[in-house]
Amino acid sequence: MTPGPLNAMHILEFSGLTKRYGAATVLNDVSITLQPGRVHALMGENGAGKSTLIKLLAGVVAADRMIVRKDDTDVLLRNPADAALAGFRVIHQELNLVPQLSVAENILLGRAMPQRFGLFIDWHALALRARQALAQLDIHGLDVTAQAGALSPGDRMLVKIASALVAAPGQTPCLYVLDEPTAALSQTESERLFNAIRKLKQSAAILYVSHRLAEVMTICDDVTVLRNGAQVYSAPIAQTSRDEIILHMTGRALTDSFPPRTTKTGAVVAQAANLASRGLSDLNFTLHQGEIMGVAGLAGSGQSEVLNLFMGLERPERGSLTLLNQPAPATPAEAWSRAVAFVPPERRSQGLALRMGARSNALSPHYRGIWANLAQETTRTAMLATRVNLKAANLEQSVWQLSGGNQQKVLFARAMAATPRLLLLDEPTRGVDIAARAEIYRLIRTLSAQGCAVLMASSDLTELMGLCDRIIVLQAGRQVQILTPHGLGTNDLLQACYATEHVLT
Amino acid sequence: MTGFRQFGTLIGLIAIMLFFTLRLPETFLTAGNLINISQQVAMLAVVAFTMTVVMVMNDFDLSVGSTASLAGIVAAVLFREHYPLWVGVVAALGMGVLGGLINGALVAYAGILPFVATLGTLTVFSGLAFYISDGATIFGRDIPKPFGDFARGGVAVAGLKVPYLTLVAVAVLLLVWSVLEHTTYGRRLYAIGGNVEAARLAGIRVAWLRLSAFAITGLGAAVAGLMYASRVASANPTQGSGLMLDAIAAVFLGMTMSREGEPRVLATLVGVLILGILNNGLTQMQVDSYVREMLVGSIVIAAVALSSFGRWR
Repeated sequence: MTPGPLNAMHILEFSGLTKRYGAATVLNDVSITLQPGRVHALMGENGAGKSTLIKLLAGVVAADRMIVRKDDTDVLLRNPADAALAGFRVIHQELNLVPQLSVAENILLGRAMPQRFGLFIDWHALALRARQALAQLDIHGLDVTAQAGALSPGDRMLVKIASALVAAPGQTPCLYVLDEPTAALSQTESERLFNAIRKLKQSAAILYVSHRLAEVMTICDDVTVLRNGAQVYSAPIAQTSRDEIILHMTGRALTDSFPPRTTKTGAVVAQAANLASRGLSDLNFTLHQGEIMGVAGLAGSGQSEVLNLFMGLERPERGSLTLLNQPAPATPAEAWSRAVAFVPPERRSQGLALRMGARSNALSPHYRGIWANLAQETTRTAMLATRVNLKAANLEQSVWQLSGGNQQKVLFARAMAATPRLLLLDEPTRGVDIAARAEIYRLIRTLSAQGCAVLMASSDLTELMGLCDRIIVLQAGRQVQILTPHGLGTNDLLQACYATEHVLT
Repeated sequence: MTGFRQFGTLIGLIAIMLFFTLRLPETFLTAGNLINISQQVAMLAVVAFTMTVVMVMNDFDLSVGSTASLAGIVAAVLFREHYPLWVGVVAALGMGVLGGLINGALVAYAGILPFVATLGTLTVFSGLAFYISDGATIFGRDIPKPFGDFARGGVAVAGLKVPYLTLVAVAVLLLVWSVLEHTTYGRRLYAIGGNVEAARLAGIRVAWLRLSAFAITGLGAAVAGLMYASRVASANPTQGSGLMLDAIAAVFLGMTMSREGEPRVLATLVGVLILGILNNGLTQMQVDSYVREMLVGSIVIAAVALSSFGRWR
């Protein structure tokens, strides 16, 4: 029962990690050494075995073989309680906070709440302990009495990490596992998270799972790549390169994930003049056939709202907004019927009916007439599936069984089904692995080559710089410039996103 | 495992039929009794089939029972005032559509949860039925003879009389099946049931579709109310009240049979038959009606529980 020294530094050796489901080996003899002071990146495409590995470390799934040594003593991981006792903290991808509770309550959720007279919650002490946890991450000034539901995705992730910090006595954390923590974060939010990680790694080892190469290269010290359940590569970051990692992840070289620009732009498709709405102002842009226009800004600067203007989800209040010389659509139904296609930002909650197949999902905006014809629908979906290179057992397989990349391809099949004139893409590659990402870029290019105008919001600035002809830069909903990426770097775009000239009066 | 889960309910139906065939060798598996069952379940079937239409969108309608009662009362009151037969029938059906539209408007446009909205209209329609009938049963000479004769009539097929009520239920089944499985309207309803937000963003007119689907359910309830009134040649402000729970139970039983637990009208038919056959068989075995209710409730829970165990394994 004697707790170890508070700042104990432990070296963790995991070896022989193996997991089989029936005949399929999803993880085969993987070995990783983790130590405090170093962030170890775990990379691999969807289905490579990353999630399984995390589940083994968390004690959620029983390994077929696994040896865990903490400073030369064996650790047994039979269940999540064992993992917690060993000091392992796993922070999962989904931001599952209780939105109705305060930040402080969320941070201490599941722990003993500080009490008064053994009866009432001591709110003061509660807030204090929550602030202490946040301070460990160098976060100050976050209101711990605010409702967690009101926080931005970035703050929510930080709150979750803070809650993992609050350990019961005798369980000094020695390992943090972060599963794609930046998937829903903007660039600035990610920066704050990285600062927190730099702080965290001083006292514990960190296993960092991510799809994003750029951030792995900046904040990680070592990298391990999994492919089809096998460990194919491990190296210190200092001794490797992006290309090297990609090569090992995909098993083939992807010299350029952005296909070349071939598009010539044509007639005007959409136009905004001095447009303002509830959250937007000073919008002035013209979008042409075949043009790919990006929308960039810090998180919550109004990127989605610009796209929503064309879906009738956001109403113009002043100025003019036209689509093919007509006023902008007033409802999503009108938008689709006027050849606007939309890929929403949250594919699971806003895009897909998860229990239905690719056929039902791809065709839902495109039903015409009274009678439905199953044979025709199947042929049409099969054609679309080929065009987007969908990998599914069949067109009726429920889409929740598909990988993130393939789910996104179903949404692209939907968007392409009726030759769109304007394609609205909101975070088109969020949570999609590298290979599928490259295919999606190729699809966007193909559509624009066919004369479709594309308006695309993304928090992945590299993606915007690589794909777009021009980029609308927003600051707090206001258009500050239209940037041409040619000859510029991602840093230039990031700088344009920060408020410089505009000071609040 | 999957196969067993999906067909478990159908196997259950066959098991129940086998059981009664063995226990009631003389009376159960006879053409006469089967036709009798089809007539007994006809009203429930019509309500359950049209209930499936709203349940496809994850909505449901608790007011179908009182809508059925109200429709019967509306027709009977008009008959009593010597309006022609067709006026009473059309007014009753119109009443059902109107009630459904009210439900749909509350759910789709006012944004009230179906449970709350239709619980409210259940009470209102029931009160209205009592109000316009003065709480009394309308029967005897007030009901025109052809109206009562309808339920007793039928079409002779191969020496057997197939009752009109059965034929109405079959017609409603075919109609609902065509709408749900073979029209773009049905496809859109299933899309709404799959994910209402995604459906809206995919350009499906969610509000209008919900409104119209509730109208169909209301119409179905009114049809069932008229069938009931015809069968007993009288109208009573509470005679439809048993329909709602059984109809929802039948759809739930059916939902255990589809791959992802979505309602399908042919599966609802299996649910209706299970409930109808249990009722018929247990009555013949002279099982007390209270015991019958407990049995039926337990069977519904067991079927749904078994199927959800299978799904989340």
